[in-house]
Amino acid sequence: MKNDRLITGNFAAAWAARLARVDYIPAYPITPQTEIIETLAKWVREGLMDARLVQVESEHSMLTAAGAASLTGARVFSATSSQGLLYGLEMLYNMSGWRAPMVLVNVSRALAAPITLAPDHNDVLAARDSGSVQLHAENAQEVVDLGLLAYRIAEDRRVRLPAIVNLDGFFLSFTREKVDIPEQAKVDEFLPEYKVADPFSATRPVSKGSSVMEGFAYSYFHYHIHEAAQRAREVLREASQDYESLFGRRYGPVEAFMLDDAEYVLVISNSFATLGKQAVVSLRKDGVPAGLLKLRMLRPFPVQEVASTLRGRKVVAVFDQNLSPGSGGILYPEVTSALYHLRDRPKSVLPVVGGLGGKDITKHEMMAVFERMRALGRNGETAPAPMYLMRDDEMARVNRMLSVARGVQPKK
Amino acid sequence: MNAQDFPLYGAERRGAPVTAFTRVSDGDILERGYIFDPDISVVMDESLLDDPLANPLAGLRRGGVLLVNTRRSAEAYRRTREDITILTVDLTDLALKVLGRPVLSAASAAAAARVLSIAEASLQRAVADELEEIGVGGGLAAKNLELAGLIYAKLKPMRLETRELGAAETLVPLSVIVSGSGSEDAVSTGNSYLRRTGDWRTYRPVIDYARCTDCMVCYAYCPESAMSVKDDGRISIDYDNCKGCLICVTECPLRAIVKQQEGVA
Amino acid sequence: MTTATKFKTMKDLPRVDYLSPGNPLCAGCGGVLAVRLFHKVLGPHAIWVNAAGCMTVITTYPLSPLKSNWFYTAFASAPAGAQGVRDALDVLIAKGKVKPSEDMKVVVVTGDGAAYDIGLQSTSGAIQRNLDFYYLVYDNESYGNTGFQMSASTPFGSSTKTTPPTSRFPIGNESPKKDLFEIWRAHKPPYVATLSSAHVVDFLRKVEAGTTMKGPKLYLAMAGCPTGWGFGAEETIRVERLAVETGVWPLKEAVDGITKHTYVPRALKPVSEYLKTQERFAHLFELEQRNAPVAAIQESVNSYWRAVSAAEGVQVRLVE
Repeated sequence: MKNDRLITGNFAAAWAARLARVDYIPAYPITPQTEIIETLAKWVREGLMDARLVQVESEHSMLTAAGAASLTGARVFSATSSQGLLYGLEMLYNMSGWRAPMVLVNVSRALAAPITLAPDHNDVLAARDSGSVQLHAENAQEVVDLGLLAYRIAEDRRVRLPAIVNLDGFFLSFTREKVDIPEQAKVDEFLPEYKVADPFSATRPVSKGSSVMEGFAYSYFHYHIHEAAQRAREVLREASQDYESLFGRRYGPVEAFMLDDAEYVLVISNSFATLGKQAVVSLRKDGVPAGLLKLRMLRPFPVQEVASTLRGRKVVAVFDQNLSPGSGGILYPEVTSALYHLRDRPKSVLPVVGGLGGKDITKHEMMAVFERMRALGRNGETAPAPMYLMRDDEMARVNRMLSVARGVQPKK
Repeated sequence: MNAQDFPLYGAERRGAPVTAFTRVSDGDILERGYIFDPDISVVMDESLLDDPLANPLAGLRRGGVLLVNTRRSAEAYRRTREDITILTVDLTDLALKVLGRPVLSAASAAAAARVLSIAEASLQRAVADELEEIGVGGGLAAKNLELAGLIYAKLKPMRLETRELGAAETLVPLSVIVSGSGSEDAVSTGNSYLRRTGDWRTYRPVIDYARCTDCMVCYAYCPESAMSVKDDGRISIDYDNCKGCLICVTECPLRAIVKQQEGVA
Repeated sequence: MTTATKFKTMKDLPRVDYLSPGNPLCAGCGGVLAVRLFHKVLGPHAIWVNAAGCMTVITTYPLSPLKSNWFYTAFASAPAGAQGVRDALDVLIAKGKVKPSEDMKVVVVTGDGAAYDIGLQSTSGAIQRNLDFYYLVYDNESYGNTGFQMSASTPFGSSTKTTPPTSRFPIGNESPKKDLFEIWRAHKPPYVATLSSAHVVDFLRKVEAGTTMKGPKLYLAMAGCPTGWGFGAEETIRVERLAVETGVWPLKEAVDGITKHTYVPRALKPVSEYLKTQERFAHLFELEQRNAPVAAIQESVNSYWRAVSAAEGVQVRLVE
């Protein structure tokens, strides 16, 4: 039975925590996730959730408390963004080393400096080496669904790692969309109770997080974390089957959109995938064989799916809403290395960087990307120069700001 | 001549066994890190020969030298390996006589230098430089140089021609590495006594039960939990783990605990 | 402090040890002695939540001296780790997922580096939230595990590896020791106390007092450090005793924010007797004309005890 509501991405995230019957929510406010913890605080205090929400004094403490509670046996939820995620970042590495599951919602927000509130993905991608599983949502429906799937994955015996569910600030966090909220009884069927393997115990005490001085022992434990992260893929596959039978929606590590005979494919993640899909639909109407591959699971990186869906294509573009200065987009090398060994890899892979700091991407900009792909298809260039998206009207506005900053009166 | 050296220590603090490595070469040294196949192994604490974690003989090349700080003769160690030369010198005894403390760095450096045919003048300069770097000067530095000279004179240079033991090594595939648990959790049963910190001692405390009145002061002040109170109230010392800090000797109000040098009958 | 106490003399020291021997810390370590004594009073059923410091290596996988739980968190956030464990136990016991008999005491143990510097933020948060936990600081007045660099706890006049005395900076460390007792006390937690292993009965009674209370119970234990402070391993208790007798390390407690000294030396010994025992202060005595530093230290000790005399109406003969 459908339970359609019009809710924001943040509200959807709060619903995921509520439906998962979490025990513990350590919290700290930061734009643009704050509505998540405000909603949860209200529900807890109104008795709608049997959980404890404790606001602590920093994200570093927040994530420490989260991991500690997880190892004691509580199902933990928290939310953060940007500066907060980075402030507590060492604790994500700790949690994967402790093998402490939790679901952490990151509402993406570009990193200072300069300080801003609008989204991009440098924050969540900074955590890509931390040993956390990463699932990225395009719309509010995915936020709820991936939130619940994340608990199944994180707490699975084969995984036992923190899982980050990412949703874009503003474009998703504050945008209201139609969401079918899953029934509690069915979620209870879907999510087994959380049981930690060797909890802290008064009568059977354990040591966790002890120092390891020998390199071979540290290597051993870390190879295990890698293996566990890799196994998250198969756990997602199993969990998705259950999810589909209960809720009618299925999620894989990637989403193939109009890929069938596509010659020009845009690879993209998160909420700007919607804009990419809009462009693909429009191009298809004009008979252009365009398609889109959405990356939903970024850790573990879906190497096989990327290879199998992109092989044989004429031109691929990788849209990075992030930037590693001195290198370029972060997902570009991950995608191309998945393609490298294929004999029928795409002739040309175009790096595109856009949307940093939440910069709007218009239909025309998306079209320009596809135009460039088609031109590459025609001229056969194999090492295309990257596109860094910026429109002339935007450049004009920047120039005006620079003038004002220098004390020059802008021309009317 | 070229040289490279580094120490290796884990969590253990002052008093615990440490391992240090030195490479000496006429040409460039294109090696780094742990020395798996030494030509010379210098053992400054003979109890480490029986310590499976220390294992100072591991990888010692055929034709190499095992140099042990002990009052025993080389004959006592014949059983270890036939294909090496065993030298024994009582470094501790001389260090106590000259420095008044069992600090062995200059002494063992001198022993190794002599075996390697390093000139005495170079040794003396090296000892002086090292001591200056750690802020030891004046009389104590002079005593260290004296000690180095005495040890140097006790030994003879050796011509070393060594061969690798040639133990095979294979790589383990990932599937085997990750086939086990991978959890770093450990049951907390107080199993640290397996570390046998008793090996750290230079002196041990010995209780004179005729004078002891079971006042419990020593028991209270032992940082190691190496003392226990028996049912009859008598204090007992766990020598497997007593580090020989001697706080109990200092604090006993009746001076009923004395210190005794390890390894002396 | 409750007058009904189990601990009246040294003989009342509990005979059970919750630490095994064989830890890798320095011989003569005042820190591990403080942990040992603390655990004796606390009893079993505990979790020790740790931040980086000397005590971190008390457990090195797979060995631990503890017969209770151990959890290494991060340098800045042991109190937050305690928060997570305590909250989880509360929630799970309330939900019937964990038996009440499985409840345990939550103890944060850190050195002064974590307590005075990098972990002060998370400590303040935990106290402000009235977390039910113990916090034991082993104060060796330095970053000991990294080789003896200064911390905010390093006293005026101490040499450390990052405040070495030179001709331009003859004093060594010129900053005063941060008053963590007062910072904690300002939060008005149920219990704050200073400890020294050299005063065993006082130590045991203060831990005992904590076991009768809920909320934050905070302990600042002197941890004589042979390796860093520069004295023989056998001197640790003697050095700590002198710290108390010279008035440098006051023994006191604060119940709900009200301070009372639990041991008041009748006549203070001159601070030089304490300073002379340690190499970290040796340079102060080598500065012939500049007895100023030792005199300054003596004056700050005197002024502390003048204030105590006035506040608590006790007689202390100062060194003038």
